Amino acid sequence: MHILINSIVIGLLFIGLIFFTGGTLGILRMPDFYTRLHPAGKLDTMGLMSFVFAFCIYNLEHLTWDSLIVSLKMLLIVFFVSLSSPTATHAIVDAGIRAGLKPWTKKNKEG
Amino acid sequence: MKKVALIVVILCGAILIHATSEFPKWGEINSPASLHVSPYYIKYSVEQTDVPNIVTSVLADYRGFDTMFETTVIFCAGLACFLLLRIFNDKEEETESIFYRHIPSGIIIEFKNHEVDIRDEDFELIDSKFVPYDLIIKTVCRILIPFIQIFALYVVAHGDFSPGGGFQGGVILGASIILLAISFNLKTAIEKISEKTLGVLSAIGVFIYAGIGCLCLILKGHFLDYGKLAKILPIDPVKARAIGMLGVEIGVAITVMAVMIIIYINIASQGKHQEGL
Repeated sequence: MHILINSIVIGLLFIGLIFFTGGTLGILRMPDFYTRLHPAGKLDTMGLMSFVFAFCIYNLEHLTWDSLIVSLKMLLIVFFVSLSSPTATHAIVDAGIRAGLKPWTKKNKEG
Repeated sequence: MKKVALIVVILCGAILIHATSEFPKWGEINSPASLHVSPYYIKYSVEQTDVPNIVTSVLADYRGFDTMFETTVIFCAGLACFLLLRIFNDKEEETESIFYRHIPSGIIIEFKNHEVDIRDEDFELIDSKFVPYDLIIKTVCRILIPFIQIFALYVVAHGDFSPGGGFQGGVILGASIILLAISFNLKTAIEKISEKTLGVLSAIGVFIYAGIGCLCLILKGHFLDYGKLAKILPIDPVKARAIGMLGVEIGVAITVMAVMIIIYINIASQGKHQEGL
């Protein structure tokens, strides 16, 4: 049981790490404003989600009422982040379009 | 004049930096703070104040004066922002401009005449106030704002048990109203909580803090000596200290919330309170 929980936790942390690394690379390497926002949004939702799931499961190893409550609070964080982070990305993109910033294309590289 | 001011600032800074050299070193075991002050708080704060969180008991009880004047400083910041930025001159109404964007080039053209109406596929009418109308943002903010406010109240009320307190809770409360102003528009936020209300609230917070202090004076104690509140509350003096701290935290939260919103509204609308982000 102990090994099972630990391996699940490690797997989830690893997935989160992949997403965080990819997201950070994307923010640094993508060519323009809109494309850079895309990895930033993914990083917040998917990376953080798998991290917090890992913490939840690790916290539930000694199953008591208190640890259950703490895990539920962590899941609430995931819920609110996954609600607000895509909305924030959407709002920033919307503001960029309204301000007249044109998306990057292969022909028009000024973006 | 600027040079004189610069010299004065540099001199003051030099004096302050010179004074820091007399301070005890970071983490010094033999400094007075580690020898007398911290052990006293760690030993007696729970039995004297009935507050599990030592930081809160130091902040709101042992050093209540400090926190009171911090609150006053925040009130003064809001007042200064209001006095510097607020413009009451509504008579000179600027002619409403209409903005069109030329889609292929991205150039934005401004028309000062009202009766311009371009119906070309290359041109697009842009909101002159630059207020984004967006269903997604509005809906999500409508869902989130109540939760943010509940969490703020939790932080305020739970300040004496866990990290948190008036300043943090007030900032979160203010941020929820600012989120309303950003996601809808400034007018909606001002309709919900008017300028007069904000001014009164920012003063009420400081008044609650100082009022609790004066109440202790009236009950024949020292200023901010919450233990004396036990004379009018049906609890023992130690519990009364926790209740006094809670009252003080609520005052701080009200001031911080109002000042946050005042600063945001005045800066975002450049003092006109009409349009903005």
